[in-house]
Amino acid sequence: MSSVPENHTPGESVTGYSVAHDEEAVVIVGSGAGGGTLAYELTSKGIPVVVLEAGPYLTHDEYMNNEWESFNQMAWLDPRTTSGSWRVARDFPNLPAWIVKAVGGTTTHWSGATPRFKDHEFKARSVYGRVDGANLLDWPIGLSDLAPFYDRAEKAMGSTHVHGRPPLPANNNYKVFANGAERVGYKFYATGPYATNAEEYDGRPASIQDGFNFQGDKNRSKWSTLVREIPRAEATGLLDLRPNSQAVQITHDAEGRADAVLYLDEEGSLHRQAAKIVCVAGNSIETPRLLLLSATPSFPDGLGNSSGQLGRNYMRHLTGTVWGHFEEPVRMYRGETMAGMIGDESLHDPDRGFAGGYYLETISLGPAFMAAFVEPGTWGPDFAKLLDAYTNSAGMWIVGEDMPQETNRITLNTTLKDKNGLPVPNVHYDDHVNDVAMREHAYAAGEKVYAAVGARSTHRTPPYPSTHNLGTARMSERPEDGVVDRWGRSHDVKNLFVSDGSVFTSGAAANPTLTIVALAIRQADYIAEELKAQRI
Amino acid sequence: MVFPAKYPSLNATEMTEEARQTLIRVLRVAFPHQCVPDGPYERTADTILTEAQNETWFRVALTQGLLSLNQLSDGDFRSLDDAAALRVLRRVDGTEFFGFVRRTAVLNLYDDAEVWTALGYEGASFDQGGYINRGFNDLGWLPDPRVEFPEGETMPEIAPGATGAPRPAAGGQKTDSTNQPGATSSDMEEVKK
Ligand SMILES: Cc1cc2nc3c(=O)[nH]c(=O)nc-3n(C[C@H](O)[C@H](O)[C@H](O)COP(=O)(O)OP(=O)(O)OC[C@H]3O[C@@H](n4cnc5c(N)ncnc54)[C@H](O)[C@@H]3O)c2cc1C
Repeated sequence: MSSVPENHTPGESVTGYSVAHDEEAVVIVGSGAGGGTLAYELTSKGIPVVVLEAGPYLTHDEYMNNEWESFNQMAWLDPRTTSGSWRVARDFPNLPAWIVKAVGGTTTHWSGATPRFKDHEFKARSVYGRVDGANLLDWPIGLSDLAPFYDRAEKAMGSTHVHGRPPLPANNNYKVFANGAERVGYKFYATGPYATNAEEYDGRPASIQDGFNFQGDKNRSKWSTLVREIPRAEATGLLDLRPNSQAVQITHDAEGRADAVLYLDEEGSLHRQAAKIVCVAGNSIETPRLLLLSATPSFPDGLGNSSGQLGRNYMRHLTGTVWGHFEEPVRMYRGETMAGMIGDESLHDPDRGFAGGYYLETISLGPAFMAAFVEPGTWGPDFAKLLDAYTNSAGMWIVGEDMPQETNRITLNTTLKDKNGLPVPNVHYDDHVNDVAMREHAYAAGEKVYAAVGARSTHRTPPYPSTHNLGTARMSERPEDGVVDRWGRSHDVKNLFVSDGSVFTSGAAANPTLTIVALAIRQADYIAEELKAQRI
Repeated sequence: MVFPAKYPSLNATEMTEEARQTLIRVLRVAFPHQCVPDGPYERTADTILTEAQNETWFRVALTQGLLSLNQLSDGDFRSLDDAAALRVLRRVDGTEFFGFVRRTAVLNLYDDAEVWTALGYEGASFDQGGYINRGFNDLGWLPDPRVEFPEGETMPEIAPGATGAPRPAAGGQKTDSTNQPGATSSDMEEVKK
């Protein structure tokens, strides 16, 4: 099932359906969690869409079960730069984030953890109070607004543990993790919620525990917009999908309404697609980059940036990894990579010395990634020991709420251009003291879990390039405080929407994708209504 | 200082077998795995030599680096024992040469199937039906844990008393500032790009 027809014309649709370039269309930029979901929800309501996707259309049989080959096949490798005191800037100066450039976006490489936000996490500013140096703000919506859409998202994604979906079985890595959790007194551990089938569901088979998640799932048991939303949108006959088509500018008319998207095809030729609505879902680095690239005399600081908040408040979750080395074999690489979670520390308890909470989740890497990430920049006998312990290692990942800061931001680096001559994005990030305190606490908690089941030694691995990228076009009640309103609609440009994790007002402890999908479903309902009422 | 691009003849150098052997020894000392046979180290050395062949600057750094290793070893780096060789490598740790060797080795040595086998990693399993019937849950030295959250209990959201806890020091502040906005508002100045 390769998806691109032969003799395909660059920059044009690969489905049976296409929209004329001068016809004003609903244009979606990006086909990942946000964009792919929006495309399906709108087409299923009878609304045709054009999806511009910068990456190629690859499917499960083209995936590679090899860490570097797969990374080189699908990751977004266009140049980016970094600055700030975060460790990633030192270890991976040109790879601030791990994001996929392909149809399906990063949902092809994601693992599948789908916790919901908690009620108070939508009110970070009210509940956490004033936190020095943080730019906290309450969301303009709450859990009750999102709850029905969480239900729909969980059913769409087939999350385990909810709506009657059975849990995944315990794999080896989970057995170590869960026993350790039990012994230190944690209660809320389980193998999910996790958006991979434990049994056949939604026309896709049960997991065969093949150990490859971060490389795309050849078995299609894992949810992605590539296996569900894109083919279903295509089946409506209303999806015009243009892979290898990178949006480079959104233009506007004299009234300040978005009127077209300019994009480059794989040969570098520029196209223009007229638009009546533009929805941007390029993930939280490319989304602000595109809007910054769309600055004009009427929008001198970037499209929809009257607040000055575009590109700011970049969040990436705390992250960090703890490895435990045991006397006996673990073989953590067998089975689902992240099907294990401890929720006991996800609460807000300022007595621990920081605001917000974190989850601990199982993680596994193969030797290739382990060598690159376990302690970047090091070598020698101590380094070799970390790999010698491979068979007997168990791993867990820390995912916790980081503080939004105005100075953590995406900007255009005008000293460096990509192959298209466009300024590359720079990602600036400094850890907040709250982030540092939480990470320390989480490392120690993880070490206790492994010590409780007899770890000979443990190792703290610093953050990987960001897999959760959030907050750069945040939602706010008032136009002065953020970029979009409660529906993800630009405060400034009424037919411009942001449809990905860039809209997060704060990060919460939970992995973000379920919330991105829920917000996109909700936004689709809203756009459909507004179109019907002719308010867009 | 050499100007490789300007004088093509300077590019016509080739690494000798001795250089290759030194490089293999460097890799063994820098990434010492008793369980790993010579093959992967040799292949990684060859990868480094190939990359150096394609990149003038790397070749210059490599040539110079191998030379200085021998100088720091009073003759031949290969004749040093493990401890002495490690000391020499620590002394060149910060060099362009060593950084290039280390980066290339980390990316290639551990991407070698023979190393995977030595470390006990089985790799891709899709063609064999995954690990579902091949030991994904064969760990027997711990009891089987439950896989669902405890029934009838809800995960705590806010610690008891957390909302009544005194606010951080800045809490006494009356007017909202950029960094400390009110609950649903923040008065920010326009930010110029
Ligand atoms: C290894 C890994 C594991 C993860 N595990 C989890 C997990 O367990 N749980 C969880 O919740 N999240 C997880 N995530 C994060 C999750 O993948 C992202 O949160 C989610 O995919 C983000 O959705 P998005 O729509 O914002 O962006 P993406 O899914 O990244 O999609 C953006 C798309 O837009 C395209 N694009 C960008 N710019 C342009 C442009 N200018 N023109 C055209 N197209 C463009 C990109 O090519 C891409 O396809 C993981 C991520 C990684 C990398």
